[in-house]
Amino acid sequence: MDGLASRRGEVMRSASEGGRGRVGASLWVSLLLAILGFLVVYPILMLLLGALTDTNPVVDGIQLSHLSVTNFLTVLANPNVAEALANTLIACGGGTLIAVAVGLLFSWIVVRTNTPFKAVIAAASILPLFAPPLVAGVAWAILGSPKTGLINTVFKWAGLDWRVDFYSMWGLVFVFGIYYAPYVYMFTSSALRNMDPSLEEAAEISGASAFATLFTVTFPLIMPAIVSGMLLSFIVMLGIYGIPAVLGAPTNLSVLTTYIFKLTNWSPPLYNTAAAVAIILMVVTGLLVFLQHKVLSGRSYTTVAGKAFRPRSLDLGRWRWFTFGLGIVYLLIVVVLPSLALIVAAFRKFMFIRDVSSLFDARQYSLMHFQSIFDNPLTMRSIYNSVEVGIITAVVGGALAFAIGYTIHRTQVTGRRWIDVISTLPVAIPGLVVGVAYLWAWIGVPGGLYGTIWILALAFIARFMPDTVKSLSTSFLQIHRELEEAAWVCGKGVLGTIRTIVLPLARPGVMASMTLLFVLAIRELGSSLFLYTSNTMVMSVLLLDYYEGGNLGKTAAFSLVQTVLLGVLIGGANYLSRGAAQGSVARTG
Amino acid sequence: MTATLEVTDLRKQFAIGRPAIDGVSFGVPAGEIVVLLGPSGCGKTTTLRCVAGLEHPTSGEISIAGKVVSSPERGILVPPRLRDLGMVFQSYAVWPHMTVRQNVVYPLKHRKLSRTEARTKVDEALELVGLSEYADRPVVALSGGQMQRVALARSIVYRPQLLLLDEPLSNLDAKLRLRLRDDLRAILKQTGMTALYVTHDQAEAVVLGDRIGVMRDGVLLQMDTPDAIYNRPADLFVANFTGATNELAGTLVSRNGQFGTVDFGEGRRGEVALLHSLSPDEKVRIALRPENITIGPHNGANIFSARVLDRRYQGTQTAYGIELFGRRLEVVELGTAARHQVGVETQVSLPKESCWAYRDTGPVALE
Repeated sequence: MDGLASRRGEVMRSASEGGRGRVGASLWVSLLLAILGFLVVYPILMLLLGALTDTNPVVDGIQLSHLSVTNFLTVLANPNVAEALANTLIACGGGTLIAVAVGLLFSWIVVRTNTPFKAVIAAASILPLFAPPLVAGVAWAILGSPKTGLINTVFKWAGLDWRVDFYSMWGLVFVFGIYYAPYVYMFTSSALRNMDPSLEEAAEISGASAFATLFTVTFPLIMPAIVSGMLLSFIVMLGIYGIPAVLGAPTNLSVLTTYIFKLTNWSPPLYNTAAAVAIILMVVTGLLVFLQHKVLSGRSYTTVAGKAFRPRSLDLGRWRWFTFGLGIVYLLIVVVLPSLALIVAAFRKFMFIRDVSSLFDARQYSLMHFQSIFDNPLTMRSIYNSVEVGIITAVVGGALAFAIGYTIHRTQVTGRRWIDVISTLPVAIPGLVVGVAYLWAWIGVPGGLYGTIWILALAFIARFMPDTVKSLSTSFLQIHRELEEAAWVCGKGVLGTIRTIVLPLARPGVMASMTLLFVLAIRELGSSLFLYTSNTMVMSVLLLDYYEGGNLGKTAAFSLVQTVLLGVLIGGANYLSRGAAQGSVARTG
Repeated sequence: MTATLEVTDLRKQFAIGRPAIDGVSFGVPAGEIVVLLGPSGCGKTTTLRCVAGLEHPTSGEISIAGKVVSSPERGILVPPRLRDLGMVFQSYAVWPHMTVRQNVVYPLKHRKLSRTEARTKVDEALELVGLSEYADRPVVALSGGQMQRVALARSIVYRPQLLLLDEPLSNLDAKLRLRLRDDLRAILKQTGMTALYVTHDQAEAVVLGDRIGVMRDGVLLQMDTPDAIYNRPADLFVANFTGATNELAGTLVSRNGQFGTVDFGEGRRGEVALLHSLSPDEKVRIALRPENITIGPHNGANIFSARVLDRRYQGTQTAYGIELFGRRLEVVELGTAARHQVGVETQVSLPKESCWAYRDTGPVALE
């Protein structure tokens, strides 16, 4: 292996050592580093600067005066910040507990039992990944609002004395938990699948009951997967804006993300405070990402023999109908009920539902809300803008990610470690923080980027850079090195080889990664919030606008439009990449 | 402690294809080591897993120490944990999140034992497999051979009535395999446990087994002592699988007790040992070990002329390909000297007690 690596090194060196090649290589590295500096480093530095001054970037422009830590410390001491931080930790912590319980239960049901229709349950277990958080939040607001919620209406009709209130911490924890369980599920189900079944059989032979085996052997063995799924779901929940914005607003329940947005919406906007809180959010996320990285790089117990195992399935007897029932209940809660709620709200003239019989009264339904949203010129413009941003992000971001991935993985140029590190940084930065950082970076620069479609696209490119580089790299790392070396030997240069050999062979993977980037860009809400103007309104922000405007019918109608559009796009991306897209949507929330 | 195992007319049918086990019956007396030997896919591991209770047979009966543990017809299916067995897996299956001691003490935790009693038993077991100094190491810090010793200690620490071993040595490298093979027999004999051992390696089977059962396509072909398996294989497959890879064909002319005269065609006749009860004029096939053929001038019966086709010098022995009766045969000659030249016409002698004649039942796919 070593010999091979050093031989490759030599080929590269002799290719680049021919004077001109060497200058070219260092120019290339400087160019990439400059682009990355512009996309990632500069906005983060501006965010730091913002947190450390009390100057207003809009009025004063960017100034280096008034630099002091006191501003930051004042923000830290602010009881509202402390409250938002505490709320965030409670909501994400509670949500994570539910997510772990649900995710682990379903991965066990799907991988280890003879529950009927397991494929359906497996599909249900990852479906919530595709629901945009804001849409999920809206759907649960329609279902679980304390006064007009559909659930309470049904309870009242059934003569039951139960009432639910999802405009609360409990509601937030519940919705977080069920929607982010798939992160735990994905990690633990593959760990279970890769586990040598004889490890469990040995416990059973030793005299342990099925239950004891589960807790003394199975779960301890997949602990690294459980922990990293848990950390990932926590990290994603930290950065989510849509769900807490919808469920927390009526009772003024703030988490860090919603609090940051609130700060920039006050008059005058408190940009400095927002920057400081964003940094807190970034630090917490960064720590967790680091921790997750540690857990993942630690020894994994599960791949012992590297061979395919015949999965063991426990015969549950009559209990398998119970586990099947659990799967159906989950499907009902995360998919069926919210979809029904959105459909009812979107097609119903008025959300007031006197009783259940009026729920089925056809006269109450019409296309009125759809007509009204499409009468609004902003609607079509937002769709047009979203698609435009999506295309720019996909093309520019895809090309950049390919250049970065190729430089990191297939060349020996000096400085590629730096390129690797900087392009991976955004993994630890929630979308919302990227938004605030870009706001700080460009709002005070005259003649500028702020207010254009491009600032959105650049923010998205930066935000999704790590995932795009990763998925693109997989596509060309599968091409054997010798195919390229053969082209060099035939006399092609590095660029010619990429054009004639690498790109044609890697095309399906590259196309899939770019389509995926397109979908992610269209979905993104967190960073758009701070960067849009009325001219550059995008779909996700307009949906939030409709919700805040108070008309549930229009909100639901636009949610449906978006969901259908996204469903078609994700389906297409998934078809192009043969399943790879689904994992990456998951990674970025 | 140690118990008998009785398997009667065991059948196992998976969802598709031919049955994995097709009517296997055998018994293991207390304290004996029985090895099930056969190529992969012959049903030997499935048989073992049925005995363990990890696989459910379709029909038939399994009883341990006179108690029926599996009998689909009578609706009896004792779960593995209540069968009081030990099992060693091919992949070791030691739990990587525990130390050596935690692994070995695990089965005792599910039995009523005091702490000190358990400790003594664990120490004894580790002593027996030669891992006393490693008790508090994490198992992942051990080598493959040591892990398999941990697995062995774990399966014998509670002195189960029956020990099952599923190709325990096949994941180890060749040298270690030889050493652990000899140790394994010593340890098993020391504990006096009844054992059922599954392998595809005939050398392992011969060294370890008190008796060997050769399986093929879900059927038990022969169960006998290693000596009988090697010297009186029941059929052509067993002969071939245990190393008698040469084959000749002919017609039986006459018989004389255990021996008979065979016509190999064109009037060439020879003496052979009859391992099936055959009558004159029957077509026969004859299995012959490469090391039992002697090249060069010789006195006595069964001398034929043959031609040396090729020669492969292997250091301590030389392998030749020879042409006899229009067929190619393999010959192995011990010694560091290669004595015969390629291309020469020479004599070969086939000792009659090494020429095993079987009834010709049409083509048999041999491996």
